[in-house]
This record gives sequence, structure tokens and C-alpha cells, in this order.
Amino acid sequence: MGNKKKKTKGYESCSGCGVCLLVCPLWRTTGAMTYTRKGRAKAMQGGVSHEEIAASIDACLMCGSCEPACPEGIGIVAMNLEQRRMLNQSRSSYPAWYPKNEATASPRNSKLPQTKTILMAGRNLDGDIKIVETIVDLLGGDKNIGIADDDGRDIAAAIEAGLPVPPDRIALCISLLRNAKNLIVSEGLLHRQLREWLPAKKVMGVGEALLNIPSIRRALRPDDIFIVESRGYHSDFERLVKFYDRLRKDTGCQMNLDLQRIAIPTGASSLRGLHNKKTAGCAEHAAWILKGRKFKRIVVEDLADMEVFQEITDVPVVHLSMAGFEK
Amino acid sequence: MQIPVIEPGCIPPDPVSPDSLKGIPRQQTNPARRSFENWKDFVGHLRSEGVFVREGKVESSIFVTDAGGLAFGLPHGVVRPNSAEDISKLLKAAQLHRVPVTVRGGGLTTEGESVAFGGILLDMSSLNKVLKIDAKAMTVRTQAGIFWHQLAEILRRDGMDYLSAPLNLTASVGGTLGVGGIDVNSSRLGCSSDQAVELEVVTPTGEIMRCSETENPELFERVLLGYGQFGVITEAVLKIRKFSPLTMQYYYYASLRTAIEDLQMLSKADAADYAGILTILDRAITLLVAFDSDERRKEFEQIWKHKLRGHGELGFGLLMARYYLLRPWKMEEALYIASRRFKLFPEFNRPEFMRDGKIIDRTVVFSRAVWKFWGGRQMVIPDLSAKAEKFVEAVERGNAVCRKYFKYYTLYCVGIKLKGNLPRYEMSCIPQDASDIAYGCEFEPMLRDTDYSRDYLQSFKNEIYDIGVDMGLSYYRFGGMMKGYIRRVFGDEMVDKHLAMKKAADPAMILNPDVIF
Repeated sequence: MGNKKKKTKGYESCSGCGVCLLVCPLWRTTGAMTYTRKGRAKAMQGGVSHEEIAASIDACLMCGSCEPACPEGIGIVAMNLEQRRMLNQSRSSYPAWYPKNEATASPRNSKLPQTKTILMAGRNLDGDIKIVETIVDLLGGDKNIGIADDDGRDIAAAIEAGLPVPPDRIALCISLLRNAKNLIVSEGLLHRQLREWLPAKKVMGVGEALLNIPSIRRALRPDDIFIVESRGYHSDFERLVKFYDRLRKDTGCQMNLDLQRIAIPTGASSLRGLHNKKTAGCAEHAAWILKGRKFKRIVVEDLADMEVFQEITDVPVVHLSMAGFEK
Repeated sequence: MQIPVIEPGCIPPDPVSPDSLKGIPRQQTNPARRSFENWKDFVGHLRSEGVFVREGKVESSIFVTDAGGLAFGLPHGVVRPNSAEDISKLLKAAQLHRVPVTVRGGGLTTEGESVAFGGILLDMSSLNKVLKIDAKAMTVRTQAGIFWHQLAEILRRDGMDYLSAPLNLTASVGGTLGVGGIDVNSSRLGCSSDQAVELEVVTPTGEIMRCSETENPELFERVLLGYGQFGVITEAVLKIRKFSPLTMQYYYYASLRTAIEDLQMLSKADAADYAGILTILDRAITLLVAFDSDERRKEFEQIWKHKLRGHGELGFGLLMARYYLLRPWKMEEALYIASRRFKLFPEFNRPEFMRDGKIIDRTVVFSRAVWKFWGGRQMVIPDLSAKAEKFVEAVERGNAVCRKYFKYYTLYCVGIKLKGNLPRYEMSCIPQDASDIAYGCEFEPMLRDTDYSRDYLQSFKNEIYDIGVDMGLSYYRFGGMMKGYIRRVFGDEMVDKHLAMKKAADPAMILNPDVIF
């Protein structure tokens, strides 16, 4: 007869159902099981080492799509990041897209914002002052919202690469957020970390923050396709899937959500995508998002997605903050 | 005991595996990994033809077991084909070098049928492109390694849907057509194999052939429900339909017999678009009915609803409360049923998969629930399929076996509309004496929180399958580790007939060995 056993939720728990395959952008473009979360889990159950699956560990875009899809409830994103960390401990060469430096403890002369809401612009909004200013205006101006000088972009990059982040670096970053109640964070990968480090604060993406503004919501139309930033969305899936369902009901706009309500990523703001969009397959992922859909405008949450869609389509591509201004 | 020398590919008078299948002639529960002196020649031959064999540990260990998690075996190499031509070259070389080829789609077999015990594992998931959606003819042409859910994603962008498919997101089209494929709408639309209009098949000797009911019909009939013995399906043209979300209703029963009789009444009368039974033990029996349109639902509610003997949720709750209050020694069972009910049923109504009270994609909803509540590293799902008149008895006898072996289990029953008396149904999951609608029942113990020995699970399966032998039924999962039942249930004459066809089609017996032959 049977013996009671204790449940575990690591790669050992993977039943091999393969539901994660269906949402994996790498599987969609390569068709190779070895590059997927299922492939890594089954290979590791079979006794292979991190080094033997290094190519797969490195290839992952860290979009987080597989985590809400997993019926076992395995913490896949944390497991993927941990596997990168383990791999880094044993190897001597790194992919070209790895950040050159670890997270540093000396960000740019950071000031302490006094506002209740802080925008952490990060790499995703970097380089487009106009959009950052527009977001601030839309959210009530600089009296209501401050911009974090230290937006944690180095931390996000280090986490994604599986590189160590010194505790004092994290401490400094979060100390500058202490006055805020709401954090608007463009780096999706930082969402779950910030929720862990600062559990009392409300962490949201730029999309959610802007879509709470009635004029922005009204600007979305049934012939728009809105591209949700996948990492932040998947980090708070159960709540956001309802948020975006209400958005669809209110506006009729289409989104980059599949039948499992997973946000199909382009991978453009992953380290791999930032290094080389072509080898990260961003255009192929974007093409799959648009395939068979009828739309007149693409509205993106993540600025990095703009370039990708502009390359593959002639329809206007705008950032969500500009959706109300574009005719 | 004298163990005869077994030549790969032949059917010997099998020795009895000592740890399972008591008294049933068969080869081995877990065949030893084959060794080949000519492996390097074989790989070199394929390389010269442009077919790459992946021999690394990473590639092969991914495929070490199937969804059943009871059979383990490693291939010597994995081939991920880019085309039917690659498969043709592979099978020609395999015939020449006598190397077995095990074909795998989603790997959702439960008896090791898609596990390679050496030789080549042909990973069909690389052939996953939809080639053409024909909205006029209402068909889709697709590569056969595609998973049904991938197909659904693509069809849905055109507002289309497939007709019937397994309630599992990662079942492949080719693998499904080879065994049947049962949906909750199969009592109306038949099994998935019956949705195939045309196939491209690579025969075991490497010919690439097209077949349909009018072109090479013998091959068509052999490949459909043929358990992968007569060819590798590389492309399929399938019937499709306009997509519509569905509304679901539940009726609760305390008696299996009553619920099954009502299911059969609805199936026979084509009263609902979807109908099936899902139970928690044999105490809380739910008849699920669903509709593609409001018109069908209204028609059902006017004509059929009042004829059902099931209860609503409140009425059934009170009935159960009274039953268990009078039997306090069964309180643990009552708590299990209540807890299961409150965890499982909300999964069918998760807001993200509903729109205006309707289920958007039934496969997403059901498959996620199946894996969440029944999935695991091991899955044991013996089944029985019977003609209508025998079905109640078969389920009641199977239920008694479940009660004997397991504290907690589920039964899942559904009808399968037959498309006449087709050759493809011979030696398949469709019982030979069935006409119009056959019925199937899966007996699934809850294995999540308890470790059972393989012998224990095997004994359970044997007892279920013995009912089939006794009553003259059939099974969905008679391959792999359960192949010892093939001769017992179908008889020597029929098995020898199919074996002769197999030997003619596959002289070296290399394609999907150990599945049924």
C-alpha cells in the first residue's frame, strides 16, 4: 500500500505535462524541446548538470510565461534565475549579452523622492524624455509623482543574468523608495523582487498605472492591439488577468494574450533582446502576436517593443502614454 | 523457466513478466534497452542522407518516460524531422539496419507506448505548422506533430475551431489520430480520428503516401486508430467549424447507474452538444452538459432538463449532508468530497477563461484542471469501452475495483459516436459489438499524496482489464505495458490478421515496437 509523501515544488515536481511549452517563445520559434522549461526539468530529472544544459539556460528570455501556465504551481521564474546563478558559478565564459559589470553600489547621485508615487523608468523608458515627461504629466505632474534617479536597472540586469547583487546595493535602492506608497516600475523583472523587498508598497507596471487614467483608457479602440509587457504581467498574473479583462470589456481593444491568457512577449527588453533583437527572435515573436489579427494601430506598454513592431508592420505603433494624442 | 531467445520485431510465445500481468503472456513490463552492433553504420547512413541523429544525454533524457511515468527507457538517438522526406529516409534506413523507431508527439501515453527502449525516438513535435485553413471547405491542413492547442490558437485567429480533440493541451494531432481522441462532444461528433479527411503518411518502409476515404483507403483505414503500426502521419486535413464559446450546466447524482442512464439518454437523443460524467469517488457524480449556442441550450431546457434525475447543487448538498450525518464513521470521505468539490469546480469557471458566463476554450479549462487535479509524475488510467447495453455494468464493476484499491479516485465517462461500421474500428478502442454510440469510462486513482508500488498499480489495472475480457469490451490504452491483453480481448484470429498486415507493411517490424505487437 501507499506511504505518505511530502510535496516539493522544484524541477523534480515537473510532471512533464508540457503546458509550459505552449507558451514558450523559444519553443514556438525553434521547436526544440531542449530549449524549454520542460526540457530542462526533464533533463535534470534524468541527471544532467547545469553545464550540460547551459545553452538552454542562457537562451531563456525570462518572459515568465511558463510560470502561470504551470499546473503544478512550480516557481519557474525563481528556478530559472537560480539555474543561471548556479551555472555562473561553474563556467568561465559568458554569452555576449551578459552585463559587463555586477550591480554596483554607486548609482548616479540619487535623490530621495518625496512623492507618494515614484516612477522607476529603467531601461525600458530610458532615452525617451518626452515619454517619461508625458507619463508624469498624465499621472498628475511632478507634485504627485517623482522619478527615481536610482531605478534599479543594474539590479534588474544582474538578476536576469544570474549575477550576484550585493545586499547593500539592494538596501540603497529600496531606501530611496521609502517615502512612496506606489511604485510604477517599467522593468517587469523587478516587480516580484520589489514586492518581496517592500511588501507594504503597491507595485505596478507603467501600463496598469496609465490605464487607470480614464482618458488613456478611452483612447484605446477595438481596432487597436495593446501589447502588454509580459514580465510584470506574469509576476502578478491572477490579478492582472482580471484587470486586462475589464480593459477588453471597456474598450474592445485586442491584446497580445493567448488562449491561456498568457502575454506573448517579443523578448525585446530581455538582455538578449537588448543585445541583439535578431538573435533573440523578437521579430518572429512579434509576427506571431499579429498573425491573423485585424488592427489599425499597435499600442505598446514597453518602449522596447516599439522598434520591433515598427520593423514588421506599416501600421502606426505608439506608446500607451501617447495613445490619446495620436490621431 | 526457459526464456526463448527473442529476435527484435517478432512475436514470440512470451514469458510472463514476474512482477505484473499475472498469468498473462507478454514480453516484459519494461523491455531492456536494445543494443546494436550496426548503430554507427545506421547513424552514418542517415547523416549521409542529411538526417541528423541527436545522441546526447540531454536530448534523450527528456524522453525517458511518458505521461504514465511507469515505463522508463532511453533511445540511442533522437531525430527531429524537418519534413516527411526526413522520416522517409529514417524509416528506409531503419528497415535496412533493423533499428526500432518509436514515434512521439506529446508523449501523453500512459503505458510506455511513446517511450523508446533503445533505437530512435522520432520527436514529431518539430512538424508543427498549420499549412492551410480552407474556410470554404471548412478544413485545415496541418503538419501532424502540432499539438491540438497550437492548432486551436491558430484556428481561433480566424474564428475557427476543431471539432473534437482530447481534453489535453499537449496531445499531438498525429498521435491522437492514431488512437482515437475522445472529447466531451464525442457522443455527438465522434472521435478525433473521424474528423480526418485526408492524411499524408510515411509507411514503415519509407514511402510517402496520401490517403483518404477515396485515395488509398486501405492505408487510411489502417493508420486511423492503428496505434502507429502502419505509418507515421505527417500531415492531416481535418474538419473544422466556426468557433463558439460554450455554456456548461451541472447535474448531481448519488447513483452511478442513474447518472449513466441519463448520459445515455442525452447522447442517444443528441440533446446536448457536450455531455460527460465526472465523479468524486462514486458518491458525488456530476453529469456535465454544455451547449455551443443559446438555441441548443433552450431546446435542452425545454425538452430534456426535467427528464434528468440529477439534482441541483443545493439539493445535492442537502442529500449528501443527510447521507453522511447518518454515517459519521465516513466523515473523512465527506470532507474529502466537499474539499474536492470546492477546489475543483471553480477551476471550470475561472474568470480569465470565461466571457459573459461562457467558457472561451474548453480545452484550456479542462486540461488545466486535469493536470492540476489529476496530473503528476505518475498517472494510472485504465479504462473500459463498451456498447450501450453493457456500459452500466462495466462501470459498476470497475468502480468496485477502484473502491478496493484506492481511497480516492475519479471516474470519467463519455459517449463516442460511431461513423458506421468502418475497418478502422477493428482492433481498436471501439468495441466490436457497438453500434451508433459506444461508451468509455476511465478509472483514475488519485496518486498525488501517496506512493504506490508499481506492482500494486499494475494489479489494479489488471483487475479493470479483466472485466473487459470477461464482458467482451475494449480499451483505449491496451498498448505498451497492457499489450498482454490484446490477444485475450480481441482473440487470436483478429490479432493474427492484423499481425500479418503489420508484417507485410513493416518487414523488419521496426515502427513503434512493443506498442501492440
